[in-house]
Amino acid sequence: MTIDVATAQMTGRQALNHTLRLEMRRSDQVLVMGETVRHVGAAGVTADLFGEFPDRVIETPVSENAIIGSALGLALEGFVPVVEIYCADFMLAIANELINDIPKWRQQQRRSGPLPLVIRACMGATAGLGPEHSQSMEPYLHHAPGLTVITPGTPSDMAGLLRASIRGGEPVVLLEHRKVYDATGPVDTDPDFMVPIGRAETVLDGDRVTLVAWGWMRHLAEQAAEQLIGEGISVELIDPRTVRPMDWSTVLESVARTRRLVVVEEAPVTGSVAAEVVARVAEAGLGEVTCRRVTMPDAIHPYSATMEAELLPTVASITTAVRAVLA
Amino acid sequence: VTWETKLTLTPIARRAIYGHMMTSRLFDEECAARLQRGEPLPHYHSGVGQEALMVAPVASLRPEDRIIYTHRGYGHLMAKGVSPREIAHDLLMKVGGTNLGLGGVMHVHRPDLGVMGREGVFGTRFGLAAGFGLASKLRGEDTVTLCFYGEAAGARGLLYEALNMCKLWRLPVVFVAENNGWSFTSRTEWLYPSPRMSDAWKGFVPVQVVDGNDVEEVWAATDEAVERARSGGGPTVVEGMTYRLAPHIWFDDAGYQPAEEVERRRKDDPLPRFRGRLLELGEDTADLERVEAAARHDVSEAWSSADAARLATWDDTPWLVKA
Repeated sequence: MTIDVATAQMTGRQALNHTLRLEMRRSDQVLVMGETVRHVGAAGVTADLFGEFPDRVIETPVSENAIIGSALGLALEGFVPVVEIYCADFMLAIANELINDIPKWRQQQRRSGPLPLVIRACMGATAGLGPEHSQSMEPYLHHAPGLTVITPGTPSDMAGLLRASIRGGEPVVLLEHRKVYDATGPVDTDPDFMVPIGRAETVLDGDRVTLVAWGWMRHLAEQAAEQLIGEGISVELIDPRTVRPMDWSTVLESVARTRRLVVVEEAPVTGSVAAEVVARVAEAGLGEVTCRRVTMPDAIHPYSATMEAELLPTVASITTAVRAVLA
Repeated sequence: VTWETKLTLTPIARRAIYGHMMTSRLFDEECAARLQRGEPLPHYHSGVGQEALMVAPVASLRPEDRIIYTHRGYGHLMAKGVSPREIAHDLLMKVGGTNLGLGGVMHVHRPDLGVMGREGVFGTRFGLAAGFGLASKLRGEDTVTLCFYGEAAGARGLLYEALNMCKLWRLPVVFVAENNGWSFTSRTEWLYPSPRMSDAWKGFVPVQVVDGNDVEEVWAATDEAVERARSGGGPTVVEGMTYRLAPHIWFDDAGYQPAEEVERRRKDDPLPRFRGRLLELGEDTADLERVEAAARHDVSEAWSSADAARLATWDDTPWLVKA
């Protein structure tokens, strides 16, 4: 028996739009809410949805707290709200709902059953958007018990993880790097295609060094790995895809073999997700492991794209770190 | 008690309101006695003096309607059908309550009764209320959400955001401001300019300020607001003027609250006031005594049950939220 898997080349933006459309067709409980979503949303993801679903694409005032609070109310009422926050940095404006209320709700209230609530936002350093529109939010959010934090790095993962989030019945934050919106790749067009939440992808198999990178950093890490492989250095590249819960077994199993770890992250170094990865590896009793983190320094994004580029991880800074752990 | 829609407060509804007010009062008196004996009651906030404003608005609701209650007083919960026993168990973090020590009395949860839970940091309630209202509208149902709030939540910007949404989409939500003169150690007039909590909303949504210790006045205003919401007329703010006759929280001695002011305001206690009114309306003293005896019985049973129960432990509840 053969199973036909139809794939299509899509950008990340198209993959999300395609998935939202199919999920809204599949279930009339799925709602899209947010600022400017009636047109195309913050980054083009909700284009043309309003025409097909005028009652379920809900254009909201610029009231982030009420958007997220009402989405919680709708989720408690059995709807599946997919909320677009205009920019991931604005999650700090709704931190009370996002961290104090939503992840704790079912435990404090001892409520059984699902709480489907998907919160998406565009994110990432993208050529000079300034310090309040460029931050990587996963370090702020990965500390919160009860929250799932997803950082898809490819159009396929954007589609598969969004669908898994919509059907998963848990509060999920999807942090969508703007550069991945423009990346093109194959996407499985099966209307039930899902990528499991909390499972890493081993992008490249190797045995001398483990590279861990997600979101846009996965692409830089891939380029760095190709360069290193060309030089005869065997690199294993892992994209966790979900930073919380992190697929620790895949990461630890790899580092147990390679004993060398480089974690790449766009966020500033202190309190980064990379810090947690290194700490878990250190505690895992794997013997001597050499680690490096390639991150942004503890700095504030400047508006100047030229100045900002000097702060961010690059292919060169990744290859340098890999060579350092091999030395 | 099943409430029924009515043009005036029926004798049955009046007696039911009085019963819930009395149950709430006796429950608070038992709490006060325990605090007096030095027993801890974490997160307890007395509702003494505010019973009319807690209970009368709920009398206009149907079983499927939603309430978002405040932390102060348990009259809203009781009027919506939550038993004093469950509330006592939740207060003591015992098995037999609604949340087995995971949320205590601050997070009493009975979605089957329209009690959908409560936020921990005041303010999220307004977004939730808009969400419940939007859910009704999307389903084409006429379920109403009654959102109580005090001076603290009402000072947060989220109330504006939610009122704007409710007005924009004509959502069936009624906001009931409990103006009890105090916000912990601060007087309302130090926090609100008039010092009314609802002045800012006049001209934006229908606003009605009522004597919050007058059951009939509270009921008439909230009943009109609930009917407006139910028939697609959108949100209303009803502000009830009342007074906090007890300290703010279990560890508070309210030394900042002038004793003579409290004594003066005690003359306006809604319970004797409503009792007097009921007699004036022709209620029988013996009937009211029966209502009072039932309330006493329920409260006493609630506390014996809670005292006899054991503390909840992690073994009683699955770890609901994945770390």
